[in-house]
Amino acid sequence: MASVRSGQQPGAVSAPSLRRQAPGSRAGAAGQRRAGRQTSSGVAVYIVAGILISAVFVVPLLWEMFRSLQPESTVSNPPSGASFSHLTFANYRTLLSGQDDIIRNVTNSLIVAVLTAALTAVVSTMAGYGFGLFRFRGSGLVFGLVLLAFMIPFQAVLTPLFLELHFLHLLNSLIGLALFYTTFNLPVGVYVMRNSFLQVPGEIVDAARVDGASVTRTLLSVLRPLVLPGIATSALYAFLFSWTEFLGALSFMTNDSLFTLPVALSNVETGTYGAINYGLLLAGAVIAMIPCIVVYVALQRYYVRGLVSGALKG
Amino acid sequence: MGLAFTSPALLLVGAFALFPLGFGVYISLTNWPLVGPYHFIGLSNYQSLIHNSEFLQSIVFTLKYTAIVTIPIFVVGYALAVFVRSNRRGTTVFRTLIFLPYIVGLVAESYMALVELQPSSGSVNFVLSKLGIASATTAWTVRTGLATTAICILVIWFASGLTMMLLMAGMQSIPTDLYESARVDGASWWSAERRITLPLLRRSIALSLIISVVGSFLAFNQFFIITDGGPGTSTVPVVMSIYQTAFADTDVGLASAMSVVLVIVVGLITFVQFHYLQGDDE
Repeated sequence: MASVRSGQQPGAVSAPSLRRQAPGSRAGAAGQRRAGRQTSSGVAVYIVAGILISAVFVVPLLWEMFRSLQPESTVSNPPSGASFSHLTFANYRTLLSGQDDIIRNVTNSLIVAVLTAALTAVVSTMAGYGFGLFRFRGSGLVFGLVLLAFMIPFQAVLTPLFLELHFLHLLNSLIGLALFYTTFNLPVGVYVMRNSFLQVPGEIVDAARVDGASVTRTLLSVLRPLVLPGIATSALYAFLFSWTEFLGALSFMTNDSLFTLPVALSNVETGTYGAINYGLLLAGAVIAMIPCIVVYVALQRYYVRGLVSGALKG
Repeated sequence: MGLAFTSPALLLVGAFALFPLGFGVYISLTNWPLVGPYHFIGLSNYQSLIHNSEFLQSIVFTLKYTAIVTIPIFVVGYALAVFVRSNRRGTTVFRTLIFLPYIVGLVAESYMALVELQPSSGSVNFVLSKLGIASATTAWTVRTGLATTAICILVIWFASGLTMMLLMAGMQSIPTDLYESARVDGASWWSAERRITLPLLRRSIALSLIISVVGSFLAFNQFFIITDGGPGTSTVPVVMSIYQTAFADTDVGLASAMSVVLVIVVGLITFVQFHYLQGDDE
């Protein structure tokens, strides 16, 4: 049992599953065999069931997008037949021009998410290169220490981290927040990148060396294109983590103008003038949701690649 | 050379994960206020935790919450994984759609849930009262039982997609000829599932359970946004208890002691589940 599994895990797992993810080529050997048995009524039943199941997960999100286009008075009052007419961008207009200055918060979120994605990609690629293609003393220990961060829930180091960031003048700092996010994305990133470099054929590295390319040049010009999918995976995980993170941003940012979008929405929730404006809250939540959907749908094969290759196994 | 390339990663992890962990243990032995002088008080913080009813209540609440959501997330996730694991027409699209709630994140969805759970204006009461299940004025967010129920349903909806993806990845790695020979031997679908899929899937099952149990144990966002711990302190999970102790009560020493307990508990959960499910064949 164990041998079947271990023989199967690293290479063989990702290769066929990835091929299946690629558009237009779902005819893997297994797929063909299973699909071949399908009668046309079976296919129809499967698709109808699939649509119904998917609806359970997607319709609530679509419904909230629709609700955010209703006037504030409709969102905050008992529903009626009129709920379906009078769609308007009023909530978005108020939110983006109002006291709450949401544009600044969206910008903060974007800065931190892009910075986190970029830092994670660069640091993970370097570390993956070091762990994957170099033998050095203590490499096992260093790798273990980096993965150890995976075992430490960031929620549990929040208080000491708060004091540490305070001493380092990194509280109320978008850079400080990005460094914190990067750290807790490194275990996944380093794991993915090490595997990417391990899969590069040794002859390519040797050939670059024979041609006299320096170690850094080998990385930047010879290996970079080969490990690009891994880089995309690490960056994507980091971006989504950063964009949706709440507790850290809530703890380390005390200045309203530096809040990220999810934290700023808790201000909207509390209501600056007492009464909560549910229309604004919904519009804000939809703004928070859109980039995730766009980025994920565009890059999902890299995300799935991470899941399949065991990035979360740490 | 290798060390040079890996040092930035080591530096970050050392500075922002390992150091705070050790620093937290150190602080937990002091009466550190957020600002001002402090001194060592030994294990007093830990001793006072034993009698700290709010902390104990938050642990009990978090355990209950974890117990409630874990099995539904797993069962729903497993069923979904069976549904999307083959490569029929439409599967790729279904996978993407079912996974979307996880990608969007619990924070945005908690805000949406808060709006829709409002007694007189929310969609939840509107639909349920039309179906005759609940009154149009049910106050979801201000009653412990109702709020917990609503949050559990939200979280099951949010997290099943991740379990689906993890189990699906595991299922696809099982060689198809095992199923072929089982079919040749006349095994039914169910017995193939039980004899081949489940045993070979133990690693993925362990992984998905660890992620979901640890995730539930570290819950914060949905409670902070939807109930803010209320009514009273009845829906305060552990992480919120720590957050309040550190930033509202400014008792950083006590909060750090709570954090140390949390690290140990989460570590134990991970270890036990991994050991139990991965078992002897590793």
